[in-house]
Amino acid sequence: MIKSNRPRIYSKYEINYIVFLYTMVLFVPLILVFTYVFNIEYTFDLNILLLALLAIDVFITLIGVIFLRIKRDTLKRNVKINYQNEFYYLVIISVFGLLGFIVLYQYFFGITEYIPSIFVLLLVIFVYTLIKLGQKYFNLRYQRKI
Amino acid sequence: MRKPSVSDETLNRILKYLGILLLGFGVILLAIQFSDFWSWILNAIKAVIIPLSLAYIGALILYPLIKYLEKKGIGPRGFSLGLVFILAVGLIFSAFYFFTPLIIEEIKNFFADDFPVIVDYINNDLREEFILGTDIYDRIYNYISETNVIADTVDQFVPNLIKAVSSALLPILTSVAILPILLIFYLNDYEVINERLRAIVPKKHEKNAAELGSRLNKTVGAYLRGQLLLMIVLGAVATIVYKIIGLKYYFLFGFLVGVTNIIPYFGLIIAAVPPIIYTFIATSGPGPLLVLLVNVVLQFFEGNIFQPLIMSHQLSIHPIVIIISILFFGSLFGPLGVIFASPIAASIRVIYQFFRDLRKEIEQNKLNEAKGS
Repeated sequence: MIKSNRPRIYSKYEINYIVFLYTMVLFVPLILVFTYVFNIEYTFDLNILLLALLAIDVFITLIGVIFLRIKRDTLKRNVKINYQNEFYYLVIISVFGLLGFIVLYQYFFGITEYIPSIFVLLLVIFVYTLIKLGQKYFNLRYQRKI
Repeated sequence: MRKPSVSDETLNRILKYLGILLLGFGVILLAIQFSDFWSWILNAIKAVIIPLSLAYIGALILYPLIKYLEKKGIGPRGFSLGLVFILAVGLIFSAFYFFTPLIIEEIKNFFADDFPVIVDYINNDLREEFILGTDIYDRIYNYISETNVIADTVDQFVPNLIKAVSSALLPILTSVAILPILLIFYLNDYEVINERLRAIVPKKHEKNAAELGSRLNKTVGAYLRGQLLLMIVLGAVATIVYKIIGLKYYFLFGFLVGVTNIIPYFGLIIAAVPPIIYTFIATSGPGPLLVLLVNVVLQFFEGNIFQPLIMSHQLSIHPIVIIISILFFGSLFGPLGVIFASPIAASIRVIYQFFRDLRKEIEQNKLNEAKGS
């Protein structure tokens, strides 16, 4: 069988699934980065705050996955040529998520000298993940001018 | 018989344009003769046009949200408009409620803790550390003391500032008071008002005018929404990064990054100056090089990731065009011109593209007709 060069177009179900899970993976750092700016860590015990955030994260993930499963048939019927807006959303939360991971590192280890190295490492991981996700699922062609 | 080098049609056209040009000059001459009368009229127009333009900008930002709600079955218009309006007012109010005390506190802290240190540094240590040498410093210092240039400038600047603020205060307050009412009425009858405006255009050009209007609304609306999002995202990112690197007034400087980002390309450079100067003088916290590096990285991300993503490729205007439009509209309309230079440039681009498409369409039609006959 001749393999087609045409990229597979994913339905809204798969895309929403990816976007939702990605958001949930970054949920704790995302919340943490904003609490850090407002100095909320001084109001609460950080360990309790982190545990509470993790519990909320797991709870929302379960609810979200069940909801997506229920809506599966409807979402499977929705297809777009590419999912640019959804991808842009991923990029923006990735930026805040990356900073959130640095805040998390600062909370746990507190050694500021290594922050630039960790930043570069995380940046490479995030950029690689986003590029691969964008190419495979969101149907983005980076070289093409839209 | 020899064929005339200029056809009657061309001659007529030249005469028509000459007539229009002369008439234009006549109008300008008349306007100069009655400058008081025109300034009176212009002030009246300005009083109307500022709130009206703000309402238009607000409508461009909020209308897609109303449309989205209506598409989801949340209506009628009054209800969806009410929801969006409450949301927008709530967001603005909460932003003021939460951020203003933080920023004010940082400004207060700056004047209480760091300002005396800066003054002390300028009076005592700056001479020794002056980058051009103590001789040049002494010369500058003597010049300033002899000519009293700083005191004179402050004496001139403060009354002028008070005068400018007091003269601008009433129109601003009026605009702020009228804006919500204008916005509600405009958004409520958005389609009807646009339809009426379209009806003013002669029948012959109605279709083209409608197309151009819709393209302009789409482009300028997308640009404004994108710019707003960009300001929020960059302001937030800068605030977080400044706090991570240990800059003391991270909220103030982050807020500055968000606000100045309204000016493309130059905004981030302007916003980088105060924290760099501050870190030069401050005894604790990060060094100026680190702050400079952070700002360079931010500029890189803004130009290569956020700007293309948020503003989308459709609105991409060449940097040279943006810089020229900032310089041109800035010199024409002052700070307002600098802020609105990019949307104006985007609008000009849309108009240019529209007429280019129109010309292509006419040429294609002519070609088709010729083929048909």
